[in-house]
Amino acid sequence: MRHLRVEPWLLVLPVVVLLLIGFVLPVGTVLLSSVTTTGGGWTLENFSRFFESSFHLGAAWRSIRLAVIQTIVVLVISLPLAYVMTRVSARVQAFMMIAIVLPLMTSVVVRSFGWVILLGPAGPLADIPGFLQLSRTNQGLLGTELGINIAMVQVLIPFAVLSILGVLNGVDRRLEEASRTMGASFARTFGNVILPLSVPGLIAGGTLVFAMSISSFITPNLIGGAQIPVVASIIYTDATTNLNWPFAAAQSVLMLIVVLATIGITSKLAARNR
Amino acid sequence: MKKFAKSLAIIAAAGLTLTACSAQADSGDSGDAKGAPTELVVTSFGGDWEAAYIEAVVEPFEEEYNAEITLVTLYSADAMAQLTAQKANPQLDVVHFSGGQEVAAAADGLIESIDPADLSNLDDLYPIAAEGVERGEGPVMQVTPIGLVYRTDKIEKAPTSWDDINNPDYAQHVALTDLSNTYGLLTLLAVNQHEGGDLDDIQPGLDSLGALVDSGAAFVIKTSADMQQAFSARDVWIAPYAQDYAETLRKADLPVEFALPSEGAPASFITANVVAGRDNADLATQLVDFSLRPEVQAKFAESMYYSPVNTKAELSDETGSRVVHGEDFGKLVRYDSAVVNEKRQSWTDAWNSRIAQ
Repeated sequence: MRHLRVEPWLLVLPVVVLLLIGFVLPVGTVLLSSVTTTGGGWTLENFSRFFESSFHLGAAWRSIRLAVIQTIVVLVISLPLAYVMTRVSARVQAFMMIAIVLPLMTSVVVRSFGWVILLGPAGPLADIPGFLQLSRTNQGLLGTELGINIAMVQVLIPFAVLSILGVLNGVDRRLEEASRTMGASFARTFGNVILPLSVPGLIAGGTLVFAMSISSFITPNLIGGAQIPVVASIIYTDATTNLNWPFAAAQSVLMLIVVLATIGITSKLAARNR
Repeated sequence: MKKFAKSLAIIAAAGLTLTACSAQADSGDSGDAKGAPTELVVTSFGGDWEAAYIEAVVEPFEEEYNAEITLVTLYSADAMAQLTAQKANPQLDVVHFSGGQEVAAAADGLIESIDPADLSNLDDLYPIAAEGVERGEGPVMQVTPIGLVYRTDKIEKAPTSWDDINNPDYAQHVALTDLSNTYGLLTLLAVNQHEGGDLDDIQPGLDSLGALVDSGAAFVIKTSADMQQAFSARDVWIAPYAQDYAETLRKADLPVEFALPSEGAPASFITANVVAGRDNADLATQLVDFSLRPEVQAKFAESMYYSPVNTKAELSDETGSRVVHGEDFGKLVRYDSAVVNEKRQSWTDAWNSRIAQ
């Protein structure tokens, strides 16, 4: 019996050590540096600077807005896609899986550069009348929030599809058949049977996508440029160029709070759904 | 549990042995045998810069002076941080700064004040490159002016003024650089000066560039990589940027040239500094002097398209037409980096609020 109490701990030990070194320590340091002065005292100055600056508040609002829009769009696209994947032959499903996961194998920088070309004046869309005028600088969708959203949705879809697929694969197909034999239309079956059953996957995928979206800065930087600032890219600049780590830390803490709050709300939702 | 404790002990012991070994290796290195080459530790900016520096300076210098140069890739801010941390026991001999850190380093006694008599090439330098030595800073070794990079197939007549970015014919084909980038900062200061402002008042510059952005005539990019993209995929014809970067674009098959605005232009100045408190300061000074030689300066210009700081550097016709030198060199402006570094954050805040949509 004694062994049984120790061995589970041994099994999780690598993860615990990794989390301690790779997450708890650095995040703790960040938390601390955001509220301490160089002299060693306590301060909330880094936070008040954020809330007093219309530039930073504007960027925060944009970050949240973009993350919400992207999460909704990603889920709306991913649910039908994942559903179709559970209803095709194993070979087709494997093929679709590869097609969805393959983009993850390339760097996000490369993918975003691809979007820069596609959405910009040198891309094929530039021939469509009026396309270039979508941005004030005649740059098509570059330098616009819509452009960022399109590129980010493509980056994020795999994560949502995989989350939803995991749940839908476990759904008994006879439930659907029962619904159809009782006379329900496909649309009604989808709405009343498939959708409710996929909620855990939607919540897990949605949370993941939201957290990744709000913390991404490479794609927003490349597509949006300096004129469409998001909090994550401001943090990156403050930490790497301005070397103002305490301020960058304070902004990271605020972002962490938003993400944790989102996870809190969604896990409540998930619990109620159960 | 016992087993676990044992393996922990083994890991810990292995770790200790490793550190012990490396400590031994370190102490082994510092003892020089007589006649062996003297070692100098020199900072490098890595990449193409490092390749050119090795060819133009490291290899010929090692041969001529029986020295062995170890390059350490350290950007200016990091190098400054290391110098400060190692003040009691410095580990670097020669430090290169590109962001004006030499002013603070000299004030803090981190770098040696070089005796002008020890720099045989000092008298041949352009005044702006030599004057820092009197203040205890290292001499300027490389210069890249910030002017107007433009597409020769779209703009037939070479631009001559900062006003050219406001030319309505080029509207929607102008790229500006964000202030998080030093070249963007220097552009703002140059336009500001042209519009009548100074380091105490950058509002004229903010207003001028801000209006350009507001009207949609220009957009703002963030990094050097974005600038290449701007010229190749975003239909940009003209952008305030660095002389050496025009060559980077030409290598990517883009038809661009660099033009120096006649009103004068800022530049990025790279200085070579001798670290204080090191044993081989004399040799380090000779290395700095070596890098100022006309033929070394010519190599920097030919390979990297930096402007030579030595008036006697002889350039090929092609390079001579593409790098600022001679009389034009006098148009370059060097801002007080102490003031710039102090105000940079507030300028960046003002700029960010101005251009954000």
